[in-house]
Amino acid sequence: MVKVHEIKSTSTFAWSSDKKPLLVTGTVAGAVDANFSSASTLEITDVLTKTTLFSTSIDAKLHALDWSAPFESYTRGLIAGAFENGIVHLWDAAELLSSQDLAKAIVSKSEHHTGPVRALQFNPLQPYVLATTGSRGEIFVWDTKKLSAPFRPGQAMSPMEDVTCVAWNNSVPHIFATAGSSGFASIWDLKAKREVLHLSYSGASGRANLATVAWHPTQSTKLVTASDNDGTPLILTWDLRNANAPEKIMEGHTKGVLSLDWCKQDPELLLSSGKDNCTSLWNPIAGTKLGEYPTTANWAFKTRFAPAAPDLFATASFDGTISVQTLQDTLEPVSTRVKSTNEDDFWSQISTTDTQQPQFAVKQAPRWLKNSVAVSFGFGGKLVIVKNNMDDKTAKIVLAKIPSSDEVRSATEKLSS
Amino acid sequence: MVTIGDAHDDLIHDAVLDYYGKRLATCSSDKTIKIFEVDGDKHTLVETLRGHDGPVWQVSWAHPKFGIILASASYDGKVLIWQEQNGQWSNIAEHAVHQSSVNSVSWAPHEFGAVLLCASSDGTVSVVDFKDDGTTSPIVFKAHEIGVNAASWAPVDTNKKDQQVRRFVTGGCDDLAKIWRFDAQANTYIQEAILEGHTDWVRDVAWSPSLLLRSYIATASQDHSVIVWTQKSDGSGAWEKQLLQAEKFPDVVWRASWSLSGNVLAISGGDNKITLWKENLKGAWESAGEVEQ
Repeated sequence: MVKVHEIKSTSTFAWSSDKKPLLVTGTVAGAVDANFSSASTLEITDVLTKTTLFSTSIDAKLHALDWSAPFESYTRGLIAGAFENGIVHLWDAAELLSSQDLAKAIVSKSEHHTGPVRALQFNPLQPYVLATTGSRGEIFVWDTKKLSAPFRPGQAMSPMEDVTCVAWNNSVPHIFATAGSSGFASIWDLKAKREVLHLSYSGASGRANLATVAWHPTQSTKLVTASDNDGTPLILTWDLRNANAPEKIMEGHTKGVLSLDWCKQDPELLLSSGKDNCTSLWNPIAGTKLGEYPTTANWAFKTRFAPAAPDLFATASFDGTISVQTLQDTLEPVSTRVKSTNEDDFWSQISTTDTQQPQFAVKQAPRWLKNSVAVSFGFGGKLVIVKNNMDDKTAKIVLAKIPSSDEVRSATEKLSS
Repeated sequence: MVTIGDAHDDLIHDAVLDYYGKRLATCSSDKTIKIFEVDGDKHTLVETLRGHDGPVWQVSWAHPKFGIILASASYDGKVLIWQEQNGQWSNIAEHAVHQSSVNSVSWAPHEFGAVLLCASSDGTVSVVDFKDDGTTSPIVFKAHEIGVNAASWAPVDTNKKDQQVRRFVTGGCDDLAKIWRFDAQANTYIQEAILEGHTDWVRDVAWSPSLLLRSYIATASQDHSVIVWTQKSDGSGAWEKQLLQAEKFPDVVWRASWSLSGNVLAISGGDNKITLWKENLKGAWESAGEVEQ
């Protein structure tokens, strides 16, 4: 993997939906640095030019961040922060970048949660809609146009404790999924105003604790969940048309899985990361592992594709880095060692580990590189045409002849007759 | 019309005839390259070339004065050079400087020698000169943020034989096409012009192979449009753009190819249609039909 950039900070993050993506990062809750500093910062970085576009200190730490697609007057989208003190902050990204003033960019500050806010996500189909989840089973759905009154999604049927993950369906705007410490992944329908399904799994090695969930990019009934339980570190794909058992069970992580991201542009690519410090790439349709990226020196707690530039992805780790990498690197691997800059530092010593170079042979090319058709002219007005059927992966080649340029029109008419 | 079905076990990404139109090279996601002999309505598979470790995106035939030589570009980050001698195909060289998928490969006009142009998802372009003594000296430089999808050589201007300058156009994931010119003193390529007009990835670039009155470049994009760029003849060197058709194509436009005489442009899009285009006397582009099979 070509490491594009590395941000030195123990932070959670979210990508912008730009083609030259920006990353917003915020100091993550539940970790301290070597100086036991309680400081918290919010930053926006251009990962391609490696420049910090905005940086400010904030008064609390975060559990999660999300960045919406642009809508209405928010030309660069909204940034939402889920704080450990129960506050949900919304900032106007364009205002943050232009005025460099956090106070000016605040769209709202809401205190509806009674405990830490653990997760949030903007609706991919209706970017003004936000879902937030927290402790004690609190789930809120917000219309960012009238932030005063978030509503609850309705009656839960499974026990809810800390809800640490929320994910909107990518094709049906009123469906979302949550997961957390209760072990279940829950499917909610805002029209039915209740939890309509819950998923659970017990295998030979015990009960999975389904703590993360991600939806198929286009098929509304398919989703993937993973267990953060070290005893059953499984990734499971489901089709809700039969929610009794998973479709595919993917083994490979050696400790609990903390994060999943299903690529929006290619359903055959899924990223995962976890407590075994590994970030892996999978084909969730085939149920196979494609490769493993260089390990971090501590839990890799969040991994995400850049939504509009999926050749890039970022992984955040408790080793104090967010690394931005490319999906593929074809150069021969070299062995490296993750080392702290200060060898005398006790805290860095214990977090120093060997990074295993990736056993990486991503022979499966992403869908966005696969052309479905091709055409080329040859000598004597010959035209070579390739047509692929992307679904069943068959192809045909046609050699057509165009006698001379003056007769193109009549020739093509003849061809089509 | 010849139809070849089931040539490969997976998607086919490119199929190109050689200089004489007798041999067809095809390449596929099944990691192989196949060579067919084409004679009238008959076609015969003569060879399957194996050596790549990922999908093969493009193939390019060298000019016959260099022998029967084919270059192939793959997702595995490599460009392989293949040669046929006495009916035997073999891999004679490997060009592995890219850190990511090589999406496009093309031989320079033969007047420049055996020179290969490669475009990669790592954002760089490489130009490799295969010298007579067997050595190579690749020039690699950053061309487009995030990735380069396509590259195409400018034709040799036979009127200016003594002052040939290597030029080519590239298209990338930064929605731009760029024109590059060789700078002998610096021994690298310098950016001559930026062609700005697309709003999404430029998927293909094609420099018209013949020098009619003006130079033409076609750029095909993910934004469902094709732009034809012409260089002003007023000496300013500025490029003018014209949409091939005002309305959008129904899907992503994947490829653009000029006829060898340079007056017909073939376009292939994600709607699986192949359309032909010609410039009319008023300088506007009009449809010259659709190729149906």
